[in-house]
Amino acid sequence: MTHERRHSRLSRREFIGRAAVATAALTGAAVIGTTIRRQATPDLWDAAAFPPPSEARVAVVPRTTYDGDLTRTISDGFKAIGAEFRGARVVLKPNCVEFDEGSVINTDPRVVAATVEAVRRMGAVSVAVAEGPGHRRDTAYVVGASGLLDLLGDVGASFTDLNTAPASRVRLRSRYTPLGELWIPDMLTQADIIVSLPKMKTHHWAGVTLSLKNCFGCLPGRVYGWPKNALHWVGIDNAIVDVAGAVRPSYALVDGIVAMEGNGPIDGTAKPAGVLVFGNDLVATDTVSASMMGVDPQQITYLREAARFLGQGDLERITQVGEAPQAYATSFALAPGTEHMVSEAGAF
Amino acid sequence: MTERGYLAARRNDDGGFGPVAGASSEAEATALVALAFDDAPARAWIMANQREDGSLGLKVGSVFRDVTPLGALALPPGPERERALDTLTGVVGRNGSDPAVAAFGWPWTKGAHGWTEPTAWGLLALRLLRPTAADRIDDALAVFRERECVRGGWNYGSRVTLGVELRPYVQTTALALLALGDAESDLSDRATTELERSWFGESEGLLSLATATCALRARGSREADAAASALRRSPHRDTGDTVTLAWVAFATDDSGPWSRP
Repeated sequence: MTHERRHSRLSRREFIGRAAVATAALTGAAVIGTTIRRQATPDLWDAAAFPPPSEARVAVVPRTTYDGDLTRTISDGFKAIGAEFRGARVVLKPNCVEFDEGSVINTDPRVVAATVEAVRRMGAVSVAVAEGPGHRRDTAYVVGASGLLDLLGDVGASFTDLNTAPASRVRLRSRYTPLGELWIPDMLTQADIIVSLPKMKTHHWAGVTLSLKNCFGCLPGRVYGWPKNALHWVGIDNAIVDVAGAVRPSYALVDGIVAMEGNGPIDGTAKPAGVLVFGNDLVATDTVSASMMGVDPQQITYLREAARFLGQGDLERITQVGEAPQAYATSFALAPGTEHMVSEAGAF
Repeated sequence: MTERGYLAARRNDDGGFGPVAGASSEAEATALVALAFDDAPARAWIMANQREDGSLGLKVGSVFRDVTPLGALALPPGPERERALDTLTGVVGRNGSDPAVAAFGWPWTKGAHGWTEPTAWGLLALRLLRPTAADRIDDALAVFRERECVRGGWNYGSRVTLGVELRPYVQTTALALLALGDAESDLSDRATTELERSWFGESEGLLSLATATCALRARGSREADAAASALRRSPHRDTGDTVTLAWVAFATDDSGPWSRP
């Protein structure tokens, strides 16, 4: 796969300056420490905790509607990337950050329910769905109003509010932030497999929000707040890398059937992208997804850094299975302040 | 079974409460139980876990989730409470360079931006227990003026993002109303109208319904009885987390620190 970049990239300093200005203009949630620490720093992560990634497999599966046999489509997608659920206790982590009637903020509940069934069919001994909504403290309202709870009831799956679930300290094995340790729900640390199940969206600070950024929802609001502002203050890109490195989902499934563009991750508009993107490597999955959105992955600071130790970010080294992603790529309108992240070569 | 019954079964051996059954004791859940049920063992847990500097909270790595205002409200009169209030007056949210945000309020975690819910608890604690802290009370009132949503009420603490007007939430609007009390009557009037309009739409959430019931009742709203009735009929009363159950108790018993004389 080729991926040409025909434009000069912003320097890191320029990026940080723009991001800080854009951020400060939003909610007043000013960001400090946005400087991603220099890669030359030898102890940014414990090498023993992050072995080199094995073969990164990504499958782009065309799908233009949530109707029909979604379970089969999802089973096929997981099989294509070699996912193995037999005998495993599996936690699915969708994005259900907020509810707003008629919006496309969240992973579609039909995708979540179909994934429950697909993973069961593939031999999982248990499948639970868990999320810690980031804006509202009343999770019951968010998951009820969004329709997620009803659909999970239809497939006999439980939902756990990660904002209130029992949790324990986990020492970070990467040090992009000064956080040192995180309060991570026990059901995640005890799961055999975590699947990150995000919505494909633009993000007004980070550029895009996909399977890595989705890990923010694993951390409880009762510690980090609503919003989880403590993670923003240490630099959102830094925090994404550290949090994803601590949660370490095994697989990703990106809901891009109807995605979000523009002022994401909350106030954007619907963007029918017509795809589901599966991956056994979150960095690879997000790299392919961002490219399909017309975003240069190298301009996504957290993605660039995560590719150093969390997964495969080199498109040339990612094994594409199934459909060619180029065939389904479509340029997204980016959020104000992040336009410089666009790939001038277009989507792929 | 009453909320007290649901909670009795989840008290930990140390006298405190976790956020849900089976979780180790944490400051916020324990303080709310102490407040909702005038619970002596919970209050003892708060006293035993108050930090040297008077604060109460949960420290995880570099993050300190500050629950000091709730601790101050839960503690009995005495030096422990005064130390908590001393600390509380010194904790200030940090602003960025957003020209629309000048007031500070209180943050969820020390060193971060001020937001609606922690600012509401900070305001309530000072208004009730240390009304002489006029500068911090005035700052909190300014936060609610600045962050008021365009149609009245409050969400987590942001009025507009990138030109988009953000809508208020029931839970945060209700909590802010309880904290404001008789102050800022124009803000409270608009927020009450918004709450009367919106509470039912979010009543699927037990926490939203319970907080709305408390606030509507405190405001003497004509909607208060309807909300209380909806709460009594709610099928989810035994499934809430500890914080939610404490709020259901406030609503059911018509109690809460805001109703102290």
